[in-house]
Amino acid sequence: MTSPAPAVATPLPRRLAAALPTWPLIATRHLELRKRRGLMIVVGVVTTGPTVLILGLRLAFHLFDPAHYGPAGYPGQFSTAASLQAGLGFIAAVVVGATAGTSDLNDGMFRHLVITGRSRLALYLARIPAGLAILLPAVALAFTMLSLVTSYESEPQPTSVTMNANVSIPPYLDQAQLQTWVGQHPQEAAEAFKPPADVIAPRSATRVGTDYTDYITNEVSEFNPPVNEMAKTGLWVELEVAIGFLVGLGLGSLTGQRAVSGILLLGFELIVTPILAAVPIPYFLDGQRLDFGVAMDQLRPVYLIASSDIGGLGNVVFGGQGTARVPPMPTWAMITVIVAWIVGWSAIGAWRMMTRDA
Amino acid sequence: MNVIDTRAIAPHAPGPARWAAASAPPVGGGFHNIGEIVIVLLVVGGLYLAVTRGRRGRRGAPHDDTWVPREPPPAPPPAPLAPRRPRAAVSFDSQADGWAVETHGLTKRFGPNVAVDGVELRIPRGRAFGYIGPNGAGKTTLMRTLLGLTRADAGTVSLLGLPVPAERKRALAGVGAIVDEPRFYPHLTGRDNLRMLAAARGGDAGQRIDSSLERVGLTQRAGDKVAAYSMGMRQRLGVASCLLGDPELLILDEPMNGLDPAGMHEMRTMITSLADEGRTVVLSSHLLGEVERSCDALAIVDRGRIVRQGPIGELIGAVGARSVRVDCADPARAARLIDEAGIASGTSLTDEGLTVTLPAGTSRELVADINRRLAAAGISVYGIQEVRASLEDWFLSVTTRLGEQP
Repeated sequence: MTSPAPAVATPLPRRLAAALPTWPLIATRHLELRKRRGLMIVVGVVTTGPTVLILGLRLAFHLFDPAHYGPAGYPGQFSTAASLQAGLGFIAAVVVGATAGTSDLNDGMFRHLVITGRSRLALYLARIPAGLAILLPAVALAFTMLSLVTSYESEPQPTSVTMNANVSIPPYLDQAQLQTWVGQHPQEAAEAFKPPADVIAPRSATRVGTDYTDYITNEVSEFNPPVNEMAKTGLWVELEVAIGFLVGLGLGSLTGQRAVSGILLLGFELIVTPILAAVPIPYFLDGQRLDFGVAMDQLRPVYLIASSDIGGLGNVVFGGQGTARVPPMPTWAMITVIVAWIVGWSAIGAWRMMTRDA
Repeated sequence: MNVIDTRAIAPHAPGPARWAAASAPPVGGGFHNIGEIVIVLLVVGGLYLAVTRGRRGRRGAPHDDTWVPREPPPAPPPAPLAPRRPRAAVSFDSQADGWAVETHGLTKRFGPNVAVDGVELRIPRGRAFGYIGPNGAGKTTLMRTLLGLTRADAGTVSLLGLPVPAERKRALAGVGAIVDEPRFYPHLTGRDNLRMLAAARGGDAGQRIDSSLERVGLTQRAGDKVAAYSMGMRQRLGVASCLLGDPELLILDEPMNGLDPAGMHEMRTMITSLADEGRTVVLSSHLLGEVERSCDALAIVDRGRIVRQGPIGELIGAVGARSVRVDCADPARAARLIDEAGIASGTSLTDEGLTVTLPAGTSRELVADINRRLAAAGISVYGIQEVRASLEDWFLSVTTRLGEQP
């Protein structure tokens, strides 16, 4: 009888390479998801359906009765539809993520795949680009339609931001530029940014932020977003969707049950997060900030804020706290929370995949 | 408070061309026109298309789909299953190139239950090896432990001379296995399921999809969704998935389950032919007749332990005395005659006739002597047939589980 060959330690670079998914593995994983007809219908309906419906109806109404129905694109329309895309895109992402995380187990293929000798980590990682390749283009398609309609099917844009009904300020100024304008036009600025009646303090540097918020509030309500703001908004929506997918994937891999994972995540996003974002809880603010929804809200682009149904325009707009009423957190904390959700859930899902009995 | 001022990072530019008349100051940075966004979207779309182009061929010709490199030289011809060593005589002596499967003290527990209890298993290379036992004896658990699908609590495993799990990836490269019921993605075709497994296996497994399907007789149905497959077709697809890696060792767990007699015959023929090619086939089953017909050697497991292992002929032959069935005109008188002569260990009369148990180690001459004595006594003898112990007899003699059942 021969004794088993001694184990030979595999070099680290080879082990790392083995943990990376190959292109065919990603492509077949994508094929597996793409061939799920019901899932694809859900993704299509949820991500692009509302946009097509809203824009289609508005375009049709305006085409046939322009006297009564305005152009399809206008600032509020963009904000509303983009926010809707983010919310519904997150739902689609959770469904796709939970499906990708559980399909091998539920369909009995996990065992077959493990027997091939392929690294379980590679099997897990292959799901990420495969799932994102379905979700991100679908959301991008919807957002592109919205951007095009907003850009090319809207009223001519005003030439200036109107403050207090009679003061015109050039649009698209950032905070520093607005401060410069205020310095150059002190009288108009005093008229444009009248403090509330109960505030008698003289104008100071601390007022600049408030003035800027007022200025942005008016600009957002009057102007379509410029292209770079559209791009930021689109990227934010895609980030929201990507996080939804990764968390769904991780939770699905952890539980092995698609329905449970989906319900848990949607409940968290649709019930828990709005509460945490809207109601500051004494002595628990830092806990509330651990919710990625609150962190993502702080990253929310300005053109998504005006029509929010949570709290209206936040008290700090750019990169500030968005619509949540929880006091904003430092930028590093916001980024840490978002990254932690992505990395943490991915690590949990991968760990479970690697340790699960097949 | 440290916040991100997105305008400071990417100051606003004028809007689309249609807004050019507006007095927005061109302060530079960020995206300058709609064309840039279109480019970004085209890049995203390109990535999407690149991912979806995972397979070659037209939608209308799914049978022609095979993996090819993106910028490849001409696609290599399909890789057939390589011929292997011819089947050799079974030997449980030390093997020069190691055992196909070797375990020492392998133990797997589920709480207080010991599913695999200190198993010492050695499976010679190039043979069909049966692993039999009653339901719940721990057959599937052993298979899963061998393949690293679940962790052993104690003991060592080596497949094809490589320790598992330390060298699991290398070991499994030469192994094909179906464990338990073969299940696949029901919404994918048989070919797509194999494509996924080939992608996971890597190498030239993708080029063996066609030959594997042909080997199991599923070429014509490869484009159908697995949801429409019968149990037998799924079993065959499972075997096809095993063949993708051109394995030296096949581990088949209950491959006859759900098959009709014709399907069982096909599966048996396939297993035999795979073993004839020099592959090692480990067949786990509780269908004793199938194992006896398909395998050269076997191990019998009961309550997680290996009760016996070795070549089938030797194991059955060791059960006990041989016997012959005598078809004659007067069985009762013949029995008395043989008993009085004292040449047999015993006789028994049944509905099937007279059975004579021969002493251990007797030769064929004793059978001829019985014939002569009966003829001399005037008893017409129509035939004498040797009665061999079947695998089932042997199985029942060495296991306890079935004997305990009422």
